[in-house]
Order: sequence, then structure tokens, then C-alpha cells
Amino acid sequence: MRKLLGGFTGLVLVALYAPIAVMVLFSFNESKYSVKWTGFTLDWYRKLADNDLIHQDLWNTLKIAAASTAAATVLGTMAALAARETFRGKRLYTTLVALPVMVPDIVLGISLFAMFRRFEIPLSLGTATIAHTTFNLAYVAVVVSARLQGLDRSIELAAQDLGATPFRAFWKVTLPAILPGVVSGAVLAFTLSFDDFVITYFTTGPGNGTLPMRIYSMVRFAVTPEINAISTVILAASLVLIGVALRISKVPVSGGGR
Amino acid sequence: MKGRFLSLLVPPTAWLVVFLVLPTAVLALSAFSVDGLKALAHPGTWVLFWRSFWIAAVSTSICLAVSYPVAYFIAGCSPRWRNLLLFLVVLPFWTNLLVRTYALKFCLDPIGWSNTGAVIFAIVQNFLPFMILPLYSSIEKLPKRLLEASQDLGASPAGTFWKVTVPLTMPGIAAGSILVFIPVFGIFALPEFINERTVLIGSQINLYYGQGNAGAGSALTMVLMVFTVALTWTYSRFRKSEGLV
Repeated sequence: MRKLLGGFTGLVLVALYAPIAVMVLFSFNESKYSVKWTGFTLDWYRKLADNDLIHQDLWNTLKIAAASTAAATVLGTMAALAARETFRGKRLYTTLVALPVMVPDIVLGISLFAMFRRFEIPLSLGTATIAHTTFNLAYVAVVVSARLQGLDRSIELAAQDLGATPFRAFWKVTLPAILPGVVSGAVLAFTLSFDDFVITYFTTGPGNGTLPMRIYSMVRFAVTPEINAISTVILAASLVLIGVALRISKVPVSGGGR
Repeated sequence: MKGRFLSLLVPPTAWLVVFLVLPTAVLALSAFSVDGLKALAHPGTWVLFWRSFWIAAVSTSICLAVSYPVAYFIAGCSPRWRNLLLFLVVLPFWTNLLVRTYALKFCLDPIGWSNTGAVIFAIVQNFLPFMILPLYSSIEKLPKRLLEASQDLGASPAGTFWKVTVPLTMPGIAAGSILVFIPVFGIFALPEFINERTVLIGSQINLYYGQGNAGAGSALTMVLMVFTVALTWTYSRFRKSEGLV
């Protein structure tokens, strides 16, 4: 029975990884049109490196990710700390905070788009950053909250009894204790933002596209080895991010999802 | 103490009110328009919702059927293997969904598989980690002695599985199903990649907005939103938890 289960698990892993491996492999294939292997080349990567549009997309992606991660890490940590107290309307509050994790991306994207349009706010990198901050806030809050649950509050109270101001108690006791959670939350936020397509698609301005948006429009036009190359670059960037996350802290594997 | 609590509570709440509640209100206003109500009265809309619903339901069921044995196997491994396997299962989640879907398309197109079945296959492949993780964490918590007791008292392995294991891992089954079902119900971009003719609710919303029919797009989005909130709310009533997780 164990063997059967193990074999099945192996098959599932193959199904998860084989397409990615094939795609990466064919980003080094010479032939532009054939799905047959004709020889090794780095041409597609050279083309990417010379493509100014792609540079612009990458730059936009990084700007949105960095700015929204910074804002969401602060706001999300605050939200998680506030959720520790008991207060009236807490259920409404926790539902509100967790909502962006739950609603399908398109709902969040479209509703923000509708609001920006109604108030005649032109779409830009700024509006996309606002949208990303909104969903990232929720993810950071959930990750930090998980960390807070294992935290003994009596240490904080002890610090205050011993004369520390609430701010000092937070800075010297609470923050160091939850820091791994905060960092995991931030890395998760950056990754989600870097990878997001749907919400950016509805909230960013014309000429302010991101890498995932570039892939989307290219794929809908035609499948080319260049897309394999961009995809491979994005994949490599994601892997570097995971590497960083694993080094800094233990990443919560059940971080949620998008 | 109160001041400190408020200074923590107010900024994120204010952000969410301005950028989550207010947009929803604007959306609702736009949905209650002639165009919006016309779209809701159109039978085609409900055909679309029904199609999105059953595709999400089928995908969720397949995810569950595939994930359960995987999660069960991982939970029974030595800690070393367990961590490695969990890492391998979660790794794709950290990569871009479009990239993963494109990779799949790149492999499926040459063999000519691009119908609705392929769309479901792609959805399952993409959302497996969301099912495996919650299942794993509830299977891992199973008290071994209950399983032994069940067998000692004469239950067959299958009997133990259906009468003890499955009921006790219901929280994992519910969490995983919700994590897969909701995003799939409103999925956008993935079906367009695999098969343009499999139009689901997400694609239709995008089409409406593309045609400048904001009312109809908002109405469909609103239905999706109400459905999600209702499902999430019901789910949260069944699990007792402090804080956000």
C-alpha cells in the first residue's frame, strides 16, 4: 500500500514539474517554429536582453512589488497585532482583513478599477501599487497572525511592568519575537506581487505593463521560444526569492495562495 | 493601552475601507443599473455561472481525489522526506501561475489537447498545492491510537479509512476545497491560455468591460463577490479560531 501511494505521489510530482522542465529546455532550442529539438542556442535570451520593452516591464514589476511590499508589511503587521485583542465587531474586522485572500482576483481587480474610474483617477503604476498593497496586506496579516499565536503575551506585559513604555516593549520584545513572521510575510508579498497578473491587468495604466502582462499578450498572439525565455527568467527570479526567504527565515509552507 | 490598540487598528482598517469596501460599494452601484440588471436577467449569464460552477466543482473534486493519497503518503514519511516532499509540492505555488500555465500549454498544444478537459487538467495541476497542504496538516494531526483502536475492534482497513480517517480530516478537506473552489470559480486568464472557447464567468466580465459595458461587468462581479463572501462566512462559522488563522 505504501509503495502504491509513493508511486502515485511520484507521478503527481512529475505532472507538476515535467511541463516546466520541458518549457525551460525549449527556451534553449534553435528552431523558432518546431517543437522538435534542433540544437542549443542562447539567441532567445540575447533577444530579451536587447528588448527595451521587456526592460521597462521588468522595472515596472519591481517598482510595484517593492512599494506594495513595504506598505503592506507595515499595515499587515498592524492588522495582525490589532487582531489579538478582543473587541466589538472583531468578527467583522477579521473577515474584512482576510477578504482579499478569499475573493477571486478578478473581483478585487474589477472593483478597484470601477472605483478609480468613477472618481476619475487615471490608472498608473500608483493605482496598481494600491491594488497590490490591498491584497498583500491580507497575506502579511495572516502570516504574522500565525506567528503571534505562538507568542506568550506575558513577556510583553512583564516588559511593561518592569518600566518599558508600550512602544519600547513592542520594539524590544514583540517585534524581535515576530520578526521571522514579518519577514516571511514580506517575502510572500513580494513574490505574490511579482507574479500577479489579473489584478495588475485591471489596475495599471497604459504603457505601465508588467512582465506577466507581457507574457499574457504574447501568448495570446503566438507561442514563441522568446516566451519560453521570459518565462524561464521569471521562474529563476522566483526561485532566487524562495532561496532568500529560506535563508532569512523558515517560510511557512502553508502561506496561503493566489 | 487603548490608544496603542487604536493606533494599530485604524491604519489597516482605514486602508481596507477605502480600497476594499468603497470599491465594492461603487461596484454595487454600477451593478444596479439598466445594463447590470439586463445582464442578470439574461439566461446566458446563468448558463455561464452554471458552467463556471461545475468546472470549479469538478476541478475541486479531482484535486481532492488526487491530493488525499499524496497528503496521506507524505504524512507517513520520515521527517526528512516529509519536509522534502512538502517543499516540492509547495515550490510551484511560489512561481508564476501564468508561467506554469504557459508551460502546460506548451506541452499540450503539440499533442492537440486543448478542450474543456484540458482546461480542467490545467486547473487541477495549478491548484493541487492548495489542496495537499491543508489535507496534510489535518492527516498529520490524526491520533494514531484511534486508527489502531478501530482496527483492534475489527474494522477493515477500508472501514477505518471511511469511518475514522475521513471524518477526522474533514477540517482539512473543507479548507482545501474552499481554497481551490473559490479562486477557480472566478478564474481568469488560465482558460484563455488553454482553450479560448471555454468562456467562464471571469472571461465574460473582462469581455463586458472590454466592450465598455461596465454595468453588466459589475453585475457579474457582484454575484461572484456575494457568493464568495457567503461561502467564506459560512465556512468561518464552522471553525473556531482566535486571530486571523
